[in-house]
Amino acid sequence: MNQIPLDSGAPTMKSYHSEVPCTWCDGCGDYGIWTALKRALVELKIAPHETLLCYDVGCHGNMSDKLLGYRFHGLHGRVIPFAAGAKLANPKLPVLAFGGDGASFSEGIGHLVHGIRSNYPIVFVLHNNGNYGLTTGQASSLTAQGVPMNTAPNGIPEHTLNSMDFVFSLEPTFVARGFSGDIKQMTMILKKAIEHHGFAFVDILQSCPTYNHFATHDYLLEHCYHVEDEGHDPTDLKKARQIAVDTSKRISTGILYKIEDIPSFYERLVPRQGKKTTPVEEVEIVDVSGYLKRFV
Amino acid sequence: MSRISLKIVGASGQGLNSIGEMVARGLKRSGYCVFGYREYPSLIKGGHASYQLDIDSEQIRSTEVHVDILIALNHHGLEKNVIDMKKGGIILHQTPTWNFSEENQKVIEDRKVTVAYLSIEEILGRLKAKPILSNVILTSCVWSLLKQDMEALKKLVTEEFGHKKDLLALNMQCIGEGAALAKEMNDTRTLPKPKKEWKDQLLITGSEAMGLGTIHAGVRLYAGYPMTPSSPLLSFIADMQNDTGMVIKQAEDEITAAQMVSGAMHMGTRALTATSGGGFDLMSETVSLNGIIENPTVFVLAQRPGPATGLPTWTAQADLLMAVDTAHGEFTRCVLSVSDSQDAFDLMPIAFNLAEKYQISVIVLTDKQISEALYTQKPYEMKNATLDRGKLITDTKKLKTLKATDRYDPKAENGISLRWLPGSDAATYCAQGDEHSSDGTVDESARNALEQIEKRMKKMDALKKELPEPELFGAKDPELLVVGWGSTKGAVLDALKSEDLSEKKIGYLHYTYLWPLKTSLFDQLQRSAKRVILIEGNYQGQLGLLLQQLCRASFHDKILKYDGRPFFYDEVVSSLLTQSKSL
Repeated sequence: MNQIPLDSGAPTMKSYHSEVPCTWCDGCGDYGIWTALKRALVELKIAPHETLLCYDVGCHGNMSDKLLGYRFHGLHGRVIPFAAGAKLANPKLPVLAFGGDGASFSEGIGHLVHGIRSNYPIVFVLHNNGNYGLTTGQASSLTAQGVPMNTAPNGIPEHTLNSMDFVFSLEPTFVARGFSGDIKQMTMILKKAIEHHGFAFVDILQSCPTYNHFATHDYLLEHCYHVEDEGHDPTDLKKARQIAVDTSKRISTGILYKIEDIPSFYERLVPRQGKKTTPVEEVEIVDVSGYLKRFV
Repeated sequence: MSRISLKIVGASGQGLNSIGEMVARGLKRSGYCVFGYREYPSLIKGGHASYQLDIDSEQIRSTEVHVDILIALNHHGLEKNVIDMKKGGIILHQTPTWNFSEENQKVIEDRKVTVAYLSIEEILGRLKAKPILSNVILTSCVWSLLKQDMEALKKLVTEEFGHKKDLLALNMQCIGEGAALAKEMNDTRTLPKPKKEWKDQLLITGSEAMGLGTIHAGVRLYAGYPMTPSSPLLSFIADMQNDTGMVIKQAEDEITAAQMVSGAMHMGTRALTATSGGGFDLMSETVSLNGIIENPTVFVLAQRPGPATGLPTWTAQADLLMAVDTAHGEFTRCVLSVSDSQDAFDLMPIAFNLAEKYQISVIVLTDKQISEALYTQKPYEMKNATLDRGKLITDTKKLKTLKATDRYDPKAENGISLRWLPGSDAATYCAQGDEHSSDGTVDESARNALEQIEKRMKKMDALKKELPEPELFGAKDPELLVVGWGSTKGAVLDALKSEDLSEKKIGYLHYTYLWPLKTSLFDQLQRSAKRVILIEGNYQGQLGLLLQQLCRASFHDKILKYDGRPFFYDEVVSSLLTQSKSL
């Protein structure tokens, strides 16, 4: 059953095609994420002009000109607040933010915390390759302790941050994990994430053949399993956290946790209740003479 | 000049602001122009704070160092503020037994200052009233001392506290007691004859004025992080949200606030953030990002003295060069400065129009003095502002004709290329933080770098052409030319009207648009003036440095102040008097 619409009116994979050649290493997980992203958008019938894709800085950010759509490529670590501001200005447009584990769990970790806490209605895709790829393989806070890395020939002295335990401590409303070698499942995850009405945290375990020699494509291929195959109930918070955190024997992938009855940041804004227009549509010179009385 | 000044001093939290605001409102409604000025330390309770009102029947927009009436809510005022007294001034206090220091006693005698003890505690005991009502007794005493209509005060107090019906009678008794205290003093001072024109004017802080200007400009999202003196703007806009429907976000830090408004502006609404120096340091990388993606943005930079935390609740004009040189890389940006409650309102729509027209960041400078000063302000005109969104394309047909390469087309006239919003049914582009070609594709070629840098810098020439020259006040052919910017304007304009200076040929050249900097009017005036003076609230004379760099300005003298205090009326008068003697 082909889910990709082929009729001329709807967007196709070709609609997102960019002539700019990819510059990722052979075997880089970004190829898979890039493909799954386009598939998810196409299957949801979202045309390139109907979305804003926001990229952080890193290898993944080099995707910004490798596909079409309204795109933004910003500063290291800062993609979440930019994407959130954009979304609040026009809540009708699907906004996706992409960032690596280097940026998102070091320089930009505060934004991740408050992004989840605020439950902005955006998707955040973590390109998690366990290192700083673009700056040539330094350890990130998700790199396994003791593994020699660029600038850390003896391995890093810091202990590794348990990203999933950390994310779950922030009471997220959507947590999923994918593997860059599994395009079909990533497509499913990204579609659900786009349809989620709060902050969707999507962790993609991504192979980095050049610098990550501890969680390789083969390692991930062997260890990842689909939670949907085992009847996982994504509303079961306790179970979700457990299978998300414990990756010692095998790695759970799929929609780990999802709760839909928590309002998003925008839905909680009292002044926006009942407004049919978006802030983008409301720009005009406003007569404030009615407000002057309180100053007389 | 018949101005009178009144200063209330006490600990933060003792209610001096409420006395100050009530007297200010009452006097304005009675037909006086009032200017309010607050000094306070960076703490919540205690410390030594003041609220000063300068009052006249003519326009007034500055504070005097020396005051006619001092109201000391605690004994600290009797230690610290006697030196502030004018000749023949009066001190009202409520400290039962007090021995002035020898030095202060001498000031009191030399300047013939009256010291009046007010037995407020005794009155409160007699009325069985709570200590907070001492503020009503004091307000009434001052009101009566200024020979104002007691019915007007009663009306004001009813307006303020009328919702607490059981307390209203007690309030009225307190008003009576306060008036009786004043009567005993037999003080003969009076205010000038009131003028009708002030009665219906607004009593508004610079932050409130800027907040109204922000709403007026069509801003629909505000993100900020608290930092004095930008916080009152955040508070005002946040307090207005149920009226305006604006999206408000108190962000987790200044970087977030800057990024959120950048995202919101990129998406196509109008969004604002404000901060002070330290917060702006954090925002600066985002300003650089907006430079390369040509994203229109407006940042309010409310100055206070640095470095670091510096003097958090005091004023400065020391961040001009930082604003002009914001962030790494070369790109066009615009810097302008408000000076009072009029242009704090007027400049907000202008700032957004410039940002959108040139697709640049506009930095609007203000300072603690403007932010928290209380102005008597003519109701704002609603018809002056226009909405100029520059080369923003929204028409469906036109959108269809766009090519992705139109977005950052280096051949666009004046470097200003077409802009369209995410979501528009048109060719899509990338707002690319890496150096990019015309559709936002990363391009590191030398040729492309030249084209794009030149495109972004070309906008500055066009912008400079459009920006107005500085405004000349006072003599049209000044012999003494005084150059300044920002909140200095109020004190200088008031000083020019003083009897001592009104006969002199002094011109004050006020810069509102500070970058790109226009120099032709200044240059012309500096050639014909006998003496050119710079007046600024910083150590280096930062506007002076820019003028020296751009048009070989030379200053005969510089009046520079960097102690956290604004320029005061009487000190500017005496400085300018000294300067004019050297003509």
